[in-house]
Amino acid sequence: MKMTGKDFKGVVILVSAAVITGLVFNYFSPSGIMLSGKWDPSQGVVDPVSRTGSLDSSIEINNPEIVKNIVEKKLRLVLDARPEFIYNQGHLPSAMSFPLVDFDERIAGFMHSVDRKQPILVYCSGPECTDSHTVAERLIHLGYENVRVFSGGFRQWQDRGYEIQENEKE
Amino acid sequence: MKYRKMKKNNSAAFVFIIKLVLGITFVCASYHKIADPGSFARILYGYGIFPGAAINILAIIVPFIELTAGMSLIFGLYPRSALFIINALLCGFIFIIGFNLLRGHNFDCGCFSFAAHSNTLSNLEILIRDIFLLAAGIYMARHTRAS
Repeated sequence: MKMTGKDFKGVVILVSAAVITGLVFNYFSPSGIMLSGKWDPSQGVVDPVSRTGSLDSSIEINNPEIVKNIVEKKLRLVLDARPEFIYNQGHLPSAMSFPLVDFDERIAGFMHSVDRKQPILVYCSGPECTDSHTVAERLIHLGYENVRVFSGGFRQWQDRGYEIQENEKE
Repeated sequence: MKYRKMKKNNSAAFVFIIKLVLGITFVCASYHKIADPGSFARILYGYGIFPGAAINILAIIVPFIELTAGMSLIFGLYPRSALFIINALLCGFIFIIGFNLLRGHNFDCGCFSFAAHSNTLSNLEILIRDIFLLAAGIYMARHTRAS
């Protein structure tokens, strides 16, 4: 395919139209994102940063040493937001399975048995995963006063070589 | 003479169908990315190729390039230019998916149950689909006259 001058002009016109339309649409769209996001996993859970708000990084714990201390001393109730079959393959010691996908099914029982003042720590698979944030935000919305997110998630815990608990196969 | 005319008509119909398939594929592919650029940005991040500073810009603009090129091809506005863009995008997709398959990089955020399963097969399927689309795009480019 030999490009003529008109073909090249067409490419410029089409790409320019796409760029302008994209930027304008994104600016007015309720699901629009900022021109730059938070993509450094060492700074917490990665986030494209929506135009209407970003993940609440103030509830994140970025230091796995602190999380290890929390887990060892049982300072918080630890919730695993990943699907249960993944949880069964290995999870943080004494963590309770609380998958985001089953949130609505489990929340009534959870609220019945866990006090609103109970400190909670939620994690999911890693800094790319936002399920821990979603669970944490829903719990905060339901009145839980002290909920934090382990931003490094299971992968960071595993990479550090910390203890992993596996459930017996059924 | 009649046979030649029939063959020419069949060929034109074939080109028309490929043009529609390519155009509609790109328009449809852009839809969910335009509706949810945040999720598309996460997918781009997951490929592990793009610098952080470029991810959001790409997530905002690439779907509109797909939409514009697809519409342009369907409606016959700068069709060769649209084909050039579509083929360039397909080459890019094939490179990114192929590169990740070769290096064994299988992004899985683990956020949803369906993402928990290995998606190597689906990536391979996408790669094969894109190669077919590129072949169709190259065929189209050879059968679309310069304006």
